[in-house]
Amino acid sequence: MTESLLLPKRNATVATRLRRSWPTLLIWIGLIFLAALWLIPFIIILLTSLRSMNDLISNGVFAWPQRFLPENFAKAWSIGNFSVYFRNSLILILTKVPLGILIAALAAYPLAKMRFRFNNAIFVIFLIGLAIPVQVTLMPLLVMMKQLGIAGTLPALIPPYVVFGLPFQIFVMRGFFRTLPNELIEAARLDGCSEFTVFWRIMLPLSGPALVTLFIIDALGTWNELLIALVLINSEAWLTVPVGLLRFQGQWASRYTELMAGVVISIAPILFIYIFLQRYLVSGLTAGALKE
Amino acid sequence: MTHTRPRRRIRLTPYLFLLPALLWYLIFLGYPMFYSFIISLTDWDGLSRGSNWVGLSNYTSAIFQDQVTILALRNNLIWTAGTLVIPTTLGLLFAVALDQKLPARTLLRSIFYSPAVLPLVAVGLIWAWMYNPQFGFINEVLKAVGLGRFARGWLSMFETALPATFLTAIWTGVGFSMTVYLAALQGIPREQYEAARMDGATGPRLFWNITLPWLREAHVIVLSLAVINSFKVFDLIYTMTYGGPGRSTQVMGTWMYFNAFQYYHAGYGSAIAWIIAIITLVVAIPYVRRMSRD
Repeated sequence: MTESLLLPKRNATVATRLRRSWPTLLIWIGLIFLAALWLIPFIIILLTSLRSMNDLISNGVFAWPQRFLPENFAKAWSIGNFSVYFRNSLILILTKVPLGILIAALAAYPLAKMRFRFNNAIFVIFLIGLAIPVQVTLMPLLVMMKQLGIAGTLPALIPPYVVFGLPFQIFVMRGFFRTLPNELIEAARLDGCSEFTVFWRIMLPLSGPALVTLFIIDALGTWNELLIALVLINSEAWLTVPVGLLRFQGQWASRYTELMAGVVISIAPILFIYIFLQRYLVSGLTAGALKE
Repeated sequence: MTHTRPRRRIRLTPYLFLLPALLWYLIFLGYPMFYSFIISLTDWDGLSRGSNWVGLSNYTSAIFQDQVTILALRNNLIWTAGTLVIPTTLGLLFAVALDQKLPARTLLRSIFYSPAVLPLVAVGLIWAWMYNPQFGFINEVLKAVGLGRFARGWLSMFETALPATFLTAIWTGVGFSMTVYLAALQGIPREQYEAARMDGATGPRLFWNITLPWLREAHVIVLSLAVINSFKVFDLIYTMTYGGPGRSTQVMGTWMYFNAFQYYHAGYGSAIAWIIAIITLVVAIPYVRRMSRD
């Protein structure tokens, strides 16, 4: 709130400073130019997805569409079967993400707040997971899921998705728990709370910001994951968005307008989340990379 | 460093909290890794019941005989070298520029970071369309400015397929290093600069003598992740070139996939997977040390 009140004044000082320093102005113009360059692919896919194929072929990709064709989206949505992929990816996000974060938070609590022999060793083992390539588990995972009878279906994705999310989540939760004062825990213990009650009633409720951040980051990761889903899912009914998009592309490779409509559909939820929740996203990413 | 003093009743408790994560880790990561190492010592096809023990021959033929694996490894190394230099330097420059008070700097940061949140499949398809030989944006621009003779099928030619794919990786990759560097820049105490200015240091000297050394921690993160992620590359290659033309853009990640799941060489594919894992795990040592330090 104070931010917006201060804005005019700050802009004024920025303007005067810009006038004074030409190098800064040049840098700024350079950045604007680069940002425009960065946005070109977004603009191109929008322009492509909103016109007819004939229009595209005769007028070229950067001409303004003769007529806007939102029908491309409806067509891509139904022919591409996107409702199925959206449903599957959403089910995954709503099951896998809370499960993974809960397991990670449980593990992070003793790592952050208790002293025991293998504390650091266990933490390091979890961290090593960050560097393990998915490929080194794929073949055995397929075999295991076949044995469990769930290969090819959505539940097969949950175990590997959880496991590859754990290292980062444990790291972030541990870092966050460490910032919570020990006195809270001491007091609760003196009142006779069990360790689990301390975790469930005190630590977790105080971890709102970290949990929201992890939820968003993990939801994006789940929405975007390709390789594991490519190997473990084969039936059309269980495809997730990335694999479904690839299949759609396989069938509609030369219908560029509908194909790009499909691409826009698959990234729209992501961009929506990015635009409105990016504060959480960026803070979490830097929390993962640097510690305060 | 104020840890709570351990109490008697705490002895078993930490392990109870850790149990779900450790079990999950053991069953769905530890065991599959071990299992895949065993597979890599056999000639298993991935389907039939039987297989023969072949020792380390999958590894020796991967490294010394199979030209495609050697090419894939070379492509990974090129990719790594490129990633170590280009998106990281760009990210650092963007961060330094956007750390100043500039109009619309938040918007600019958001724009540079935005490609990083997209699914790489979508990114690949977007850029495959940008590079499209007949109607793609890049060729259209070249024709419009009179450089039509350079227009080509960027992703279907041997010389340009890998660089073209890598350009896409730059587009998605700059945002991450920029964000990490921005966070690190905020941690540099202003007094450092003021003191140096008093001593007569100016722009470039300040950058070399204060900014860069203070970013050492961020460099470890950005550079280690650049290497780790370069060896994990899969999605972009798979969607944009499918390893082609020919096999010229195969990387270890895709070559493993093709062997294990399309050519039914599960044993050989697992060996390739383990080669990737060994490389990324070694590179991860400084990264993990940095992250686990208190």
